[in-house]
Amino acid sequence: MGRKKKKASKPWCWYCNREFDDEKILVQHQKAKHFKCHICHKKLYTGPGLSIHCMQVHKEAIDKVPNSLPNRSNIEIEIFGMDGIPPEELREHERQKNGGRSDSEDDEPATKKAKPEVPATQANMMMPNMMAPHMMGQFTSMGPMMTPMGPMPPYMNAAGMQLMPPHMMGAPPRPLFPAVSTSTVPSQAKPTFPAYSNATISAPPTTNNPAAAGAAAATSNATTDGQKSLITTSGTTSKIMHPPEDLSLEEIRARKPKYQRKAIIATSSSSSTMPMTSRAPICSQPSNNHMLHTSYAPVTSVATSTAISQAQEHAAAMAAVVQAQAHAAQAAAVQQQQQQKQLDDLNRAVMLQRLQAARPTGPPLGMVPVASSPMSLMQPMMRPAMALAPHGALLGGNMLRHGPPGMGGMPAGLLAAPLPGMVAPGMGVMIPGPHMPMMMPPRFR
Amino acid sequence: MFGSSTLGGATSFGQTTAAATPNPMKDYEVVSPPEDSVSSLEFSPSTLPQNYIVAGSWDSSVRCWEVEQSGKTIPKSIKTMGGPVLDVCWSDDGTKVFIASCDKQVKCWDLASDQVVQVAAHDAPVKTCHWIKGLNYTCLMTGSWDKTLKFWDIRSPNPMMTINLPERCYCADVDYPLAVVGTAGRGLIAYTLEGTPKEFKRNESPLKYQHRAISIFKDKKNAPTGYALGSIEGRVAIQYVNPVSPKDNFTFKCHRLTLNGAAGYQDIYAVNDIAFHPVHGTLATVGSDGTFSFWDKDARTKLKSSETMDQPITKCCFNATGQIFAYAVGYDWSKGHEYFNPAKKPAIFLRSCYEELKPRST
Repeated sequence: MGRKKKKASKPWCWYCNREFDDEKILVQHQKAKHFKCHICHKKLYTGPGLSIHCMQVHKEAIDKVPNSLPNRSNIEIEIFGMDGIPPEELREHERQKNGGRSDSEDDEPATKKAKPEVPATQANMMMPNMMAPHMMGQFTSMGPMMTPMGPMPPYMNAAGMQLMPPHMMGAPPRPLFPAVSTSTVPSQAKPTFPAYSNATISAPPTTNNPAAAGAAAATSNATTDGQKSLITTSGTTSKIMHPPEDLSLEEIRARKPKYQRKAIIATSSSSSTMPMTSRAPICSQPSNNHMLHTSYAPVTSVATSTAISQAQEHAAAMAAVVQAQAHAAQAAAVQQQQQQKQLDDLNRAVMLQRLQAARPTGPPLGMVPVASSPMSLMQPMMRPAMALAPHGALLGGNMLRHGPPGMGGMPAGLLAAPLPGMVAPGMGVMIPGPHMPMMMPPRFR
Repeated sequence: MFGSSTLGGATSFGQTTAAATPNPMKDYEVVSPPEDSVSSLEFSPSTLPQNYIVAGSWDSSVRCWEVEQSGKTIPKSIKTMGGPVLDVCWSDDGTKVFIASCDKQVKCWDLASDQVVQVAAHDAPVKTCHWIKGLNYTCLMTGSWDKTLKFWDIRSPNPMMTINLPERCYCADVDYPLAVVGTAGRGLIAYTLEGTPKEFKRNESPLKYQHRAISIFKDKKNAPTGYALGSIEGRVAIQYVNPVSPKDNFTFKCHRLTLNGAAGYQDIYAVNDIAFHPVHGTLATVGSDGTFSFWDKDARTKLKSSETMDQPITKCCFNATGQIFAYAVGYDWSKGHEYFNPAKKPAIFLRSCYEELKPRST
């Protein structure tokens, strides 16, 4: 029994329940583990000291002692080594130490009182600490976790044994969960009295440090799919302006129905432009839209016309309706193909209709890009005087493009386009008006 | 204008009233901008005598303008894709533009004939496309959310090669013989393109948050030597592929807004794009905070930071000679769909930048 007294009087850290041989070491531990500033790594002497340091030097509020147990994270309490620990906590610790040896059930209230504050996951780790016989009942469900406990202490026979799962009786030498066992390994060092074996860590230090938590979250992103991972801001004084999901902005944006719809509809129209091109079929992509090519041909050549984009919008609205109906009628996934066809048919109808309506204002339909006429884009342009023209002459250049003498040699298209209201044959209209849909000539000669 | 050293002039194309601050830097605005945010922006390569700029947008369009030395832009053409456009790139000879889209396809736009043909396909939206001009081959590299990187001979319907990625491709850059890819889950892989493309090095990410932009830089001998990687946490990492000393690699913070009211409180914004100056080797970053900044990575100094736009800057690029800096202003979804304001129109601005990006003489 003299041994018990000796053990119990070991200095221990209130923040993490760790015991030390020497109070000097304890103080060092506390400075390094619990009172270190996470920003500048300065070691302070007490929790309030750390709090004040962070507030004054870094303008950061610290609400928890780093690496402390959840119920021991109070930064307000001034603890230095063993000094300052609330007397009731001291008594409780003492009692817990003795718990394993005590035969009486008097200890129960005290141990119970401490336990509920510890999360379930940590309860596993707390096992060695809790090995008082009266506690066994509460941990029956965790039977396998007890493996690393090694040989049973004699006092457990009465109450403990019958609660153990049968397969545990053999007491396998190696633990089932290596990960768990690592933290309880010390208990094997002193198998006879597991209650004493918590000489080291009886509960894993919690990471209350937000920076550490943030880093942990970030690393977990690397391993998981990223689907569920979140973006956490490091520190309390900054905020990352990003949706919480750890997806790229583009992925989040592309999910919007507005953009998805565009993708579905336009797939049909744009893929049809492919075979339209007079070039040899450079690639025959597997596409389920090929059926539409012929009927589309005259339309899609004017890919630039705003009529199409209008038509797309209307078709989109229609498509949504159809899709909804179709979904109700059919089992969605299997008949996707059919649905797509329906959709496409409808889109085409709507689009053609719209194009007819838009005809008077839009660029001439059926204007096929003339493959034979080389695009001016690629030709060296004749802009003799323009390149070095003084800035002043170009103020408001969009509106008034005075043709210097040299301009005479320019292709007609170049001159015409920037002039407002001037409609060159075969060109879009370039009127900078408020209501005018953004439009550009399909091609610029 | 762009050739001279003058800072951005005050030209406004027919806009007499400068309401709010849509253009606080007084730069040249590109006419007829896309109707939705710009997702990709590229100047034509140096093989063309003129400057053309191509922009892909969330409105599924790809537009091409000619940019004159005066800062004036002339719309040239527009194409509509099957879904929102996520990336564009030029072929090395400037005759074609490749367009990666949410419709899981990549299309080739032949500018001379104004024809569009499909050249690549994935099982998910294609996030990146890059033209590779190798010594013994040319091909198109596409990276997708289907967790693959594919290499295409554009005359063939099947990929030359498919490389599996650990995660979805978020950003990539190519500068023969180096290719780098940043993926979801903070993956970072360098590829060597010599011979055939193959994995060269899988790096541990220097950043703690989602990768968003990546751009290769060259050494003094004009060979690719490293890359800058930007994350959503307002931070850029400068990484050398083969660092001489570990200290060569570093990260720096950017696109963060310190709020004056609360002491020390900071809003951190995503780095949306990074571009290196083709002549000086300095770099520009643009962010969700609506600013762009110019940096000198060798001196580790900031050269310039812009005024704040009324919307995020989604993309940026330099023209081949490094005279023009183009940046696109528009909503980038960083605050979710709730903050999408259709009344705010996207815009593309051009800035004369040659002098501003010169490293400061020591």
